[in-house]
Amino acid sequence: MKKYFNIVTLFLIFFLLGSIPISAKVDIGGELAASLINIIDNQGNLSVYPQESLDLELFLPTLNNTQAKFEIYLFNNPMSEGFDYLIKKLYLKHKFDKLHLTLGRQPISWSFGSMLNPVDFTLGAIVMDEETGAKYQDAIEAYVPLNWNSSVSLVAGFPEASQDIKWGLRGRTMIEGYDLTLNYVREPEIDFMGTIIPASQRIGFTTKGDLGPLGVYGALGYYFKDNDDGDLAYLIGGDYSYFFEAGNKIYFQLEYLSIKKDNLSSILGSFFSGNVTNNLNENIGLILGMANYEIDEFSQINLMAISSLNDGSIIVIPGYRNQLSNNLSFNLSTGIYFGKEDTLFGSNVSEGAQQRPKGMISIGLTYSF
Amino acid sequence: MMRKIKGFLLIGIIISILITNFVAITATELTAEEIINKRDDNEYITSIKAEAEMIIVSGGRNITKTMFILSDKRNALVEFTNPGDRGTKFLKREDDLWMFFPDAEEIIKISGHMLNQGMMGSDFSYQDIMESDKLTDLYDFKIIGEEEISDRLCYILEGIAREGVKVSYYRRVSWIDKERFISLKEELYAQSGKLLKETKVNEIQEIEGRWIPIDSIMENKLRKDTYTGFKIVQIDFNPEIPEGTFTLQNLR
Repeated sequence: MKKYFNIVTLFLIFFLLGSIPISAKVDIGGELAASLINIIDNQGNLSVYPQESLDLELFLPTLNNTQAKFEIYLFNNPMSEGFDYLIKKLYLKHKFDKLHLTLGRQPISWSFGSMLNPVDFTLGAIVMDEETGAKYQDAIEAYVPLNWNSSVSLVAGFPEASQDIKWGLRGRTMIEGYDLTLNYVREPEIDFMGTIIPASQRIGFTTKGDLGPLGVYGALGYYFKDNDDGDLAYLIGGDYSYFFEAGNKIYFQLEYLSIKKDNLSSILGSFFSGNVTNNLNENIGLILGMANYEIDEFSQINLMAISSLNDGSIIVIPGYRNQLSNNLSFNLSTGIYFGKEDTLFGSNVSEGAQQRPKGMISIGLTYSF
Repeated sequence: MMRKIKGFLLIGIIISILITNFVAITATELTAEEIINKRDDNEYITSIKAEAEMIIVSGGRNITKTMFILSDKRNALVEFTNPGDRGTKFLKREDDLWMFFPDAEEIIKISGHMLNQGMMGSDFSYQDIMESDKLTDLYDFKIIGEEEISDRLCYILEGIAREGVKVSYYRRVSWIDKERFISLKEELYAQSGKLLKETKVNEIQEIEGRWIPIDSIMENKLRKDTYTGFKIVQIDFNPEIPEGTFTLQNLR
């Protein structure tokens, strides 16, 4: 099924490219990034390695309500010590009157403005407000608009590590100024490097709106289990801006996530999940915070933190960004882990377990074109 | 014959003087509401399609953002076209703001407090760029003086926000060209009386019978050495806007 899906997608894209008139405007854009990653281990040793990446996107004109997209991410992989690539987008979208059909590799994101999303189509597609490669899926999406703010979308995904189809259904509407979504996901059985992850299902609900001067949001997820009661996860959060006398602005975002430890690793992504192998039935309370302060029009500092209320471990992620010119920006980001041995975010792990870094500093330049 | 022509000339001159005086008298007798209505008639638009540039200047550095704007009486759609922001879209439907992130192709509702913040790092707030209400619906105006700006005689009008109306600035003082009824300068104040922003028009053009500021700057008076320029590159009034333009599905 998956093989035919890829062949059909490629065939359709070549057909569309062939039908674009030579005079049509085709543009290339993207982002070139170079950075130095510094990893500090528990003994205080520093290992430095460079990281380069190129994000390349082809901008093709829309033809008779049909749009083709191609975006590829090239990067040097420190694991393989060679260049690797990720096709982010390779799809065709046709907008019929009452149906938008998208076929091919596409980003499927059910974000609603939170830093973590326990009810996304792919858990871990967004971690601490940062996108991950997990959101790019081979899929067919049928999107049915109902009115200006309401829609229903059905997704059939083809995960790499499975022969079965992953299904997703999402409804979205707005009531009294609140953006509301209700979704359902059926994950197929996955063979992850020889480990079989059984099929699972979950339903989720999200909302986002305003409460006076505060932006507020929340999510509720229920993870079904075959021979057991299901697991409940919920997230509540808010954001707020404050202007100083000098005109500078600070933006705050704070959220709380309650979730069973068993379900946490997929949401946090592999970067944070080193110490979640024990007490999988324990309920974890996570608190996440972000403060972003604009120094001037071009530069800002931010501070993110995520902490486990169960064991007090914490990751602190300060950062600095400066827009040096129209296309060039400087980025500095760090991550420091605090916590005792075998805590959720602590860098000290039991003997025999995979070692985790104490901290990380990344310094880099990004050029957009 | 010559005497007749001189007679007609004299009558003509007298009539012109009378008309000029009449217009002048009428003009000076305009009320604040009539002046602001004339300004609204000139500057207020039913719908527009425009291409614009936003130049953010701070401490000798500047960056330029380009955009495409579609707007009608209640809604606005802005799409950025410069590298770095290409494909980022904002949809404003009355008091609700939505943002489309092109990389993830996701649509997120932006919190209400963000409406008063600088759009993409500029001194123009989302509200400044996308506000489409008539000023007379939002403020009570009175004339507080006259002054010459760039060799143009202007009325100075003060507008105070109407009770119960949501506005970005509690008080605004506008310098309105007495002849062209276009605002050449404006000061925007907080309720505390603090001057927040000042706009000045560098260039105006008569397009389709309207005087339009095509090059203006906005200074954030709370900050030093910073301003944002806004240039209209191309503008169409009352374009045909397809049904479904101001919808979430159109952002995708």
